[in-house]
Amino acid sequence: MSGEECSRGPSAKAASPGKKAASDRLLFKTFFYSFAGFLFLFSAYLFLSNFDQLLVTEAAVKTRELTTWGEDREILNLFAGGFWKDPYFWKSLNLTLMITILTTILASLVGIPTAYALSRYRIPGKTVIEVLFSSMLVIPASSVGLCLIVMFNYGPFWHLQEKLGFRFAHSIFPGMIIASFVLSFALGLSAWKATFDSVNPRFEQVARSLGSSRWRAFRTVTLPMAKSGLAAGIILAWTRAMAEFGAVLFFCGTFRELPPARFSNLERALHIDQADWLSVAIWAQVEYGNVEYGFALAYILVLIGGISVYAMHRIGAKGYIW
Amino acid sequence: MIEIQNLSGSLGEFCLRNIDLTVQDGEYMVLLGPTGAGKTVLIEYMVGMYRQREGVILVDGEDITPLYTEERNIAYVPQDYALFPNLSVAGNIAYGLEAKRHPKKEITRITEEILDALGIGHLRHRMPLNLSGGEKQRVALGRALATRPKVVLLDEPLSALDENLRAQMSRELRDLQQSSKATFVHVCHNFEEASAVADRIAIMNNGFLVQVGTLEEVKAQPKNEFVARFLKTQNIFPAVADGTKVLVNGIQLEKKSSTRGDMVMAIRPEKLRIHPDNEAGGLNAFRGTIVEAIPRPHFIEYTVDVGLKLTVFQIAEREYRVGDAVTVQVPAEHIALVEKV
Repeated sequence: MSGEECSRGPSAKAASPGKKAASDRLLFKTFFYSFAGFLFLFSAYLFLSNFDQLLVTEAAVKTRELTTWGEDREILNLFAGGFWKDPYFWKSLNLTLMITILTTILASLVGIPTAYALSRYRIPGKTVIEVLFSSMLVIPASSVGLCLIVMFNYGPFWHLQEKLGFRFAHSIFPGMIIASFVLSFALGLSAWKATFDSVNPRFEQVARSLGSSRWRAFRTVTLPMAKSGLAAGIILAWTRAMAEFGAVLFFCGTFRELPPARFSNLERALHIDQADWLSVAIWAQVEYGNVEYGFALAYILVLIGGISVYAMHRIGAKGYIW
Repeated sequence: MIEIQNLSGSLGEFCLRNIDLTVQDGEYMVLLGPTGAGKTVLIEYMVGMYRQREGVILVDGEDITPLYTEERNIAYVPQDYALFPNLSVAGNIAYGLEAKRHPKKEITRITEEILDALGIGHLRHRMPLNLSGGEKQRVALGRALATRPKVVLLDEPLSALDENLRAQMSRELRDLQQSSKATFVHVCHNFEEASAVADRIAIMNNGFLVQVGTLEEVKAQPKNEFVARFLKTQNIFPAVADGTKVLVNGIQLEKKSSTRGDMVMAIRPEKLRIHPDNEAGGLNAFRGTIVEAIPRPHFIEYTVDVGLKLTVFQIAEREYRVGDAVTVQVPAEHIALVEKV
């Protein structure tokens, strides 16, 4: 009797988990695709419901109902034609790319080693550092901007600026970079740390036992295994920097009220004579009554952001999972 | 030769206390003990992953404690093998040689030799993710041996393998150790695995090194009740020793050496003999009844009630049935009296 039970047992057991797994997969697929479909339809609705604004703009161009932008500017044709010929747009895009690329490089150079150290070493105050940067992601960016104003207008940073002879706040270099760096670094750090946490340190230890130096073990073992996660973190840091608004606005303002002499030689050399980068420019345009222009800039940002997130998913999909 | 002197330290909840151990050149030493005994911590200190609180580790007389992992020439094979997933099998084996900047031709030659010696030449271009457990283990061993280390540390190398493969791989491990002439230190918690490969075994418990010796030595004279139980000595009873006499549950036995006090008697089941009742006699012969007979692959496991329930492993030269009256012979030289734990 017991022998029979034993011989029947495993096959019965083997059949049941298989069926269960198949039904679980079906349930998961149903749920996943329903959810993804809902998200897609919802975002498509949001996007398309605003699209008529652009069409209205074309009509507005013809009827010349909207004439609020600047003395020397015609009504903006936006996507109907002429939008990309406007120097303001190119200067905004140029400034955005310049600042975000520099910010991302800086955030990566500081953030990746910091994430590695936080993941691998026992560092005093490690939890405090992690909580500090993680909490920045959940507080309003304007609060971060305010903190930066306080930080750079008093104490050691103020004295440093006096010695250096220039102000960090209300400047493009390094003001905007500092303001966009903080949250870009915080987001990148969490992604990079999670990546290093997912790579078992045992690989490095084995590499070192085979005669590899710490740096070589990192370069030849950890880095190739972490590269997808690190790249995804870099894209995240870049998109966060590009989307930065509150901190930059608070820390740097829009320079609108400042004379051209306020721009530094470096900024002039880089043909920067306005401080409205895309995210700030959207707000500025809407604030000045050019709602359509604001929308057009927003679509450009959405397009860049969408491509970045798609790239991040593509890179992430190739990653190793341990 | 590895000399570990008075080594103490702790890692999380695991700790080591005053470990003294010497491993001879070319020896196959097995660190044996239950989970949490501190075996893995000991090899992690040896490989240099962490720094111990006290004590030194000498290799050929040189104190390696201040050296970094990469300077110790001690290869390490972790339990999960940790094959580099971004490198092919050949790339994994060549890794250490490249790290030590061997010339390219030599790297290719040694890698090919290792691949051939381990019978994994056909896998050279495969990536580790697609290998079976046994193949992974061969690659990990090849990678460790390629740099000709003085010492190879193996952390539970057979635990991820199925039973048949485990027996085969333990023979291969032994052969590899003898052909490479390296000193192997192998961590495991399985007595059968240890007995298949070890020259000597070091038994650890709760951070202490309890006993070191050859398999026969520790089986014949376990240091204490823990070792006796861990080595599956099934006949363990509280006993009172008075000279050469041992009193266990009202039964008096004679042993060779003289001891006194409250102790534990341990007799290995394979050392006891069962005789038909009418053939019995002599020193330490006790009449009793078979109460259980379980056929095992190579012997029958009997339980005989002689006033004590004794377990006897006996090759099936003659089969007894439950209820048969028999005599159990307890050889005086195989009675071990050990400390209570």
